[in-house]
Amino acid sequence: MRDLVQNVYQAKDTETALNLLNQHQSEAKILAGGTDLIIQMREGNVSPPVLIDISSIHETREIKEQSNTIELGSTATFTDIEKHILFNHCLSAIAKAARSIGSPQIRNRATVGGNLCNASPAADMLPPLLAMDAMVVLKSKHQTRVLPLSEFVTGKEQTLLQVDELLEKIRFQNLTSNEGLGFSKLGIRNALAIARLSMAVYLEWDENHMCKNVRIASGALGLNAQREWDVERFMKGKHLNNSLFAEVAALLEESTMKRLAGRNTMNFKRYAVQGVFKQALDEALEGMDRRKDS
Amino acid sequence: MKKAVFNVNNKEYMVEIEEDLRLLDLIRNTLNLTGTKEGCGEGECGACTVLMDGEVVNSCLVLAFQAEGKKIETIENLDREDGTLHPIQQAFLEEGAVQCGFCTPGMVLSAKSLLDKNPAPSKHDIRESISGNLCRCTGYNKIAEAIEKAAETLKKEESDSGTARRGTK
Repeated sequence: MRDLVQNVYQAKDTETALNLLNQHQSEAKILAGGTDLIIQMREGNVSPPVLIDISSIHETREIKEQSNTIELGSTATFTDIEKHILFNHCLSAIAKAARSIGSPQIRNRATVGGNLCNASPAADMLPPLLAMDAMVVLKSKHQTRVLPLSEFVTGKEQTLLQVDELLEKIRFQNLTSNEGLGFSKLGIRNALAIARLSMAVYLEWDENHMCKNVRIASGALGLNAQREWDVERFMKGKHLNNSLFAEVAALLEESTMKRLAGRNTMNFKRYAVQGVFKQALDEALEGMDRRKDS
Repeated sequence: MKKAVFNVNNKEYMVEIEEDLRLLDLIRNTLNLTGTKEGCGEGECGACTVLMDGEVVNSCLVLAFQAEGKKIETIENLDREDGTLHPIQQAFLEEGAVQCGFCTPGMVLSAKSLLDKNPAPSKHDIRESISGNLCRCTGYNKIAEAIEKAAETLKKEESDSGTARRGTK
């Protein structure tokens, strides 16, 4: 990669980063934790002439809640997320997803913004944030756009991010008392594992345990992390009980077989998807039991 | 080329760097601090672990210019002014936690980052803290035991000297 990078900037605030992006447009690449980009550069897959480092910007690293809306700054690291008090209790599935990533060294650098903008099929933060119906706030020098995360990611490593835009933050509603979120990931070992399969389940129930709303997102089950719209439609309005869960598991197996037809992982994932779904579901339902008891 | 100032082991260095120089290469080749090792070069093995503002990072996945304004600590900073080893290093020797030694600088720094923040770690905390450092010789048990022993020693030093401990519990 020698000689290819001509200019590097360590931006200390968003405004500086946006001005630099506006100036250099497609010549520039945003560098945050670097845990993907630096490898890509060394392998010669990307060779940006200009690098804009945003890992030292404090304002985009904040994680906060305001009137039930959680704002997750794009340069928050996975360590920031895993340790944040907001993700300690009801939203612990988000901390769990962050903790499942890489190693302490990776989690200290890698950012949630980088995870979303790289949009790897196995990106670990995508399923839980998709299940929370998160919005992304994209900023350029001249405008701010807010998009649903489900529309932002358009394919394998493809997003709607424009060359002069920066993902500033991710926004979603915190859970209320009759909602729960669960996350489960299957890797080949505990540390440093890339997800073979991951799933996040968001549930809203009424006092009779009827499924008022559900959002399910999967990772590494296709070209990009995605919402499982068919399964969601099937579950809505039905009673949350074991016979429903068995039907859903069968539905997931069927769709996995279709989606991964011809891939050698299909035969493994058609079964694994059911177990991973069950674990994420159980975690989402834990909230139901906890709140019922209290 | 670009002029840059780095704080490594509490010393300021003003050097000229290539724009895409990695922190690892700055440390090893520019500053000649060769205690930091390069293993895989892609963030898997942890041999290049250094502390940046007290947190472990893989120096192969940080570009040097990103480290400007941060405090970098490498293995060379650990031994004490009187030339004796840091209790973590001493415990590694005593427990037989070093075989080929290639992973050791990274292991020791991961252990230091843990013990600076958590002077009384559980066995699980210890294993978690070195989960980003691969060792192909020891099988990890002796390393985990060494870190436990170092925690004891540091605790004892602390109570002997009666000074305030760094970091938070």
